[in-house]
Amino acid sequence: MNDDYLWDKTGQPDPEIQQLEEILGSLRYQPKPLALPRRRNYLPLLAIAASLLLAILAGGIWLRVRSRHEAPPQQARVEAPATPAPEPDVMPVLPEKKSAVNQPLQASNRIYRRRSESSVVDREEALMAKEQLMLALRVTTQKLLLVRTKTQPNQIKNQHRIG
Amino acid sequence: MYATADMLLTSTPAHAAEQSQEPAIEVVLVRAVLQGDREGFSRLYELYAPLVHGILLARVPRAEVDDLVQDIFLHAFKKLHTLRDEAAFGPWIAMIARNRAVDFYRRSKETVEINDDIRGSEPHDSRAAEILEVIRSLPEAYRETSVLRLVEGMTGPEIAARTGLTAASVRVNLHRGMKLLRQQLGFMEGL
Repeated sequence: MNDDYLWDKTGQPDPEIQQLEEILGSLRYQPKPLALPRRRNYLPLLAIAASLLLAILAGGIWLRVRSRHEAPPQQARVEAPATPAPEPDVMPVLPEKKSAVNQPLQASNRIYRRRSESSVVDREEALMAKEQLMLALRVTTQKLLLVRTKTQPNQIKNQHRIG
Repeated sequence: MYATADMLLTSTPAHAAEQSQEPAIEVVLVRAVLQGDREGFSRLYELYAPLVHGILLARVPRAEVDDLVQDIFLHAFKKLHTLRDEAAFGPWIAMIARNRAVDFYRRSKETVEINDDIRGSEPHDSRAAEILEVIRSLPEAYRETSVLRLVEGMTGPEIAARTGLTAASVRVNLHRGMKLLRQQLGFMEGL
């Protein structure tokens, strides 16, 4: 047996090995193109994500700016009435009375305004106004519930209480 | 253009690396692929497809080999970044092929009939399939080197370079495998 031919195809060819090579050569690898997966294009996804991020940032900035711009008119409405009161004899300095709810607020605000215009006072005013509003809402809710209980007693039994 | 076994003989990376200090071709190609060069992987495929084909042919039914070759290279393309030594691409993909052959039988143990698949329609194919069956019956150590040598037409040094085995091991495996094959193919005169 010629080992050289079996090893590196040099030297005297071995007829048996050649015969085997010829027969088995039909099973040899036939080149075929390799279909590599397409490269994923992340650009559209990145663009969408960046757009969303920008939109969220812009919305946040806009809301912040808007809230800052809206604060001064609330102060102006309280502290600077457009027209003086119609009865100067009774209350010459007071602005026009719009409602009974605003009366103590405006009075207390006037006192505070004369002392200082610090933000602490403004915050207290806002809290007071909020408490009044919440109280009014609670009273309204209770009244509505009472009316509903009287008009639709069966339905109310199975419902959770609101407020 | 695709590389045949003869082309591989002239462009064996190990030989080229021995002759010069330049890195072997697969090292250059692996680095190129890792940097985004897809053509580089096509070249690697051309160089190593016969090796993977031979390894699979020694283990799984012929009808499954071509698809598995494609699967293995696609898997290698995705996992190439896990290859630590670029020069070891051959042994790495050879190991993937062997593992995939094991997985093939693990997954389709009850559905595959090897004998039916490997028989061809042509008489020449039929004879080749019979001899391949005999090769497959050899001990595992001789099976792979025999197929790579006799079917894929690779030389011993080339098999050693591509699979990462030592030249001495390949030589011994080839010699003993051929001896066993001759004994079992006692009908060689009638071929």
